[in-house]
Amino acid sequence: MPDHIVTSYDTDLEDLRRSISEMGGIAEKMMTEAGEALVRRDSPLAQAVISADTRLDTLQREIEERAILLIARRQPLAIDLRETVTAIRVSNDIERIGDLAKNVAKRVVAIADQIQPQKIVIGVQHMSDLVQEQLKDVLDAYASRDIKAALDVWERDDAIDALYNSLFRELLTYMMEDPRNISFCTHLLFVAKNIERIGDHTTNIAETIHYLVTGENLLAERERPKNDASNYATVDMPGAA
Amino acid sequence: MNAAPGITSAQLTGRHKADESSPVRIAVKDLNFYYGSFHGLKSVNLNFHDRQVTALIGPSGCGKSTLLRTFNRIYSLYPDQRAEGEILLDGQNVLDSKVDLNELRSRIGMVFQKPTPFPMSIYDNVAFGLRLYEKLPKADLDVRVEESLRKAALWDEVKDKLKQSGMGLSGGQQQRLCIARTVAQRPEVILFDEPTSALDPISTGRIEELIEQLRSEFTIVIVTHNMQQAARISQFTAFMYLGELVEFGPTTRIFMNPEKRQTQDYITGRFG
Repeated sequence: MPDHIVTSYDTDLEDLRRSISEMGGIAEKMMTEAGEALVRRDSPLAQAVISADTRLDTLQREIEERAILLIARRQPLAIDLRETVTAIRVSNDIERIGDLAKNVAKRVVAIADQIQPQKIVIGVQHMSDLVQEQLKDVLDAYASRDIKAALDVWERDDAIDALYNSLFRELLTYMMEDPRNISFCTHLLFVAKNIERIGDHTTNIAETIHYLVTGENLLAERERPKNDASNYATVDMPGAA
Repeated sequence: MNAAPGITSAQLTGRHKADESSPVRIAVKDLNFYYGSFHGLKSVNLNFHDRQVTALIGPSGCGKSTLLRTFNRIYSLYPDQRAEGEILLDGQNVLDSKVDLNELRSRIGMVFQKPTPFPMSIYDNVAFGLRLYEKLPKADLDVRVEESLRKAALWDEVKDKLKQSGMGLSGGQQQRLCIARTVAQRPEVILFDEPTSALDPISTGRIEELIEQLRSEFTIVIVTHNMQQAARISQFTAFMYLGELVEFGPTTRIFMNPEKRQTQDYITGRFG
């Protein structure tokens, strides 16, 4: 695309892109480290994740302010307007992803000194790995304006929801097997829910990329893949009639 | 009507909605225009819908004012300018040499960039055309002048000084006086050639508000260099470049998601 006649306009948009990319990097790192901290019950690493969130909040506020100023100064149209609005949306999603990763880290601190069989954590770890990949892919798709890659991410959210459902049942089962698991598993349930929510935000970002590139709303064309049925999930007590 | 691609139903509601089912008031067919040997308009085909505002945008020299000037054949004041093709106003070709120019110009009114009040009273400015073409009794003339000034949203400001000179009004008021003079002829179409480029933001706002009101009665074509203005007040937008029509469509689509690369480059300030 040719440059704007006003070069500072290009600089403004470039600044937005760069800040989003910085936010993306931080969120990815937080997500990865939260996953590692969970597996290793590593409190200091979890603490590092918690404190990294402040920078994300600051960047998100800055991006929002700069985007609003850009609208006021330059009244962007077409691709520029979509780019500006998209920056606000994506930075919001990344900021929320940071909050959720921080929540995961807090849970890790809470369960760090509880000795539990590692197999209980494996399912959550697997889900965390999947969502990390989603996050990485969607941020790459945003940077390269790659609509196909964004749609791939969008469609894969289904699998994460399905995994979350089975995890939900699995953790309920552990709790019923042995009430001493309850505290640990409840924390893990929240961890899994937070990770599942991160997956939803990557889906949001994928939809935003679709809008950015095509100017069209993805949800007007097709329905969001939704496979989260945990709202209805129950597990029968062993021995109950 | 199906939503245009990229436009959600939310964007298509209310006064910004382009009504493509509205009848075609002016149909431009294969229009070519020449300034001597210079080919100013190249095979332009375009429909203007009734009671809709159509904005013509494009860089200086792209032919948008030329297109506007063909509708009421104002170019024919200049001997070496000529138009070929058809401009059908309700099915009648206005380029036909048998068309009576005075009648044509009373059907297609025009408002220019700079206000052009005549050096006479406010009342006489509005009554000017009526006195020429319609021999109305004084009482009827009074009614028409008041009606026109009201439609131009000027009545309340001038009703106590109708005998004063139109030249004494502010720039924005003068422009509305010219609109009243145009409206008095009860035209079908009103052409605006950059009507607010010489006005401050408040007067500009009044004219934009007025154009929105006039739309309920007239077909409006406006040439503007102000992209946001086109986006605000029009239902349809045509982008022209180097004498050609590049893209035409509902304004919301043109400004949010144009189909042509050239349109996007122009409206986002990347031209060159």
